[in-house]
Amino acid sequence: MSLRQLAQTDLNGILKNTTTGFGWPITLTNPNGNSVELVGNTNDIAQVIDPDTGQAVSGRLASITLPTESILAAGFEYPRGIADSGSKPWVVEFKDINGNDYKFKISQSNPDRTIGAITCLLEVYE
Amino acid sequence: MIDHLIDKQDNFEIIRDKIAVILASEVVNQKQLATDAGKDPNDWNLRIYTERSNPWEQFLNEQADKSPIVNVCFTQASFDKSSSNIVKRQKTEGLFNIDCYGYGVSSDQTTGHNPGDKDAAFKVHKALRLVRNILMSDQYTYLDLRGLVGQRWTKSIVVEQPQIDALQVQQIVGSRLVFGVLFNESSPQITPQTIESVSVEIKRASDGQVIVETEYNGN
Repeated sequence: MSLRQLAQTDLNGILKNTTTGFGWPITLTNPNGNSVELVGNTNDIAQVIDPDTGQAVSGRLASITLPTESILAAGFEYPRGIADSGSKPWVVEFKDINGNDYKFKISQSNPDRTIGAITCLLEVYE
Repeated sequence: MIDHLIDKQDNFEIIRDKIAVILASEVVNQKQLATDAGKDPNDWNLRIYTERSNPWEQFLNEQADKSPIVNVCFTQASFDKSSSNIVKRQKTEGLFNIDCYGYGVSSDQTTGHNPGDKDAAFKVHKALRLVRNILMSDQYTYLDLRGLVGQRWTKSIVVEQPQIDALQVQQIVGSRLVFGVLFNESSPQITPQTIESVSVEIKRASDGQVIVETEYNGN
């Protein structure tokens, strides 16, 4: 096993391990409405942003990281942000640490094809 | 020494508060007009504040009301020496930053979706539209302060581009309308005191002689 393959194995161990790792259940829905249950890393934190008026606005930054092999194994292509308002976006749903449900759309995806992970930046979706 | 307490608002403070009062009262009026026209009055709602500097928490934690936020801040005054006098009156141009914040959330539509970035930008544009139209309407040529305000003018509008690097869960677009107002400021004056009075009475006598009677009272 090459060092690169070893790194991918380690990554999957971190992202998909729900017992001793950071693994967290995520529901991924593609623009056609098909859903799949995956395990990955979720991130949802408050953050102060400055919309360049000099005054801060409380904001929120959320993202997920998934192993690309899990997405491909589910028969999905890599998720991405959909700018076209005439199309449905990629949607992810997961719970926070207290069990509250949240629904987001993917606004940007950053695939790492080197070790097989994709990080998606999220927006609240109603 | 100045012999009286400076217990008044300067005119820039009066104008700052007046701008906020005009906006708040006209928003109420616009909502009523929208209701009368059978439209959703919430589309005309703005939340008006003055001189706030704490981060806006409403968009993160109080999402029941998603209407735009408007903050009126006094930012600068420049004094025109050529049109003023050095004793009492200073002609002033005051600049007021009227910052508007629009909040948008991506939402599902029957066909496709409504992107949050576009939603936030359209909301802040609408807030700017309301603010500019209200303040530049002929009803407020002198901001209801005729005799104090000589001119008001929208100097510029800048809508900041959405952030590129850190995409937020909520889309927020900020904008700044710079509002210029010409007015006069005044400064404390010496309270005049009577230090001497002179009374002069001029009479003409029957023979034509002019008689002057004077009386002096000194304090």
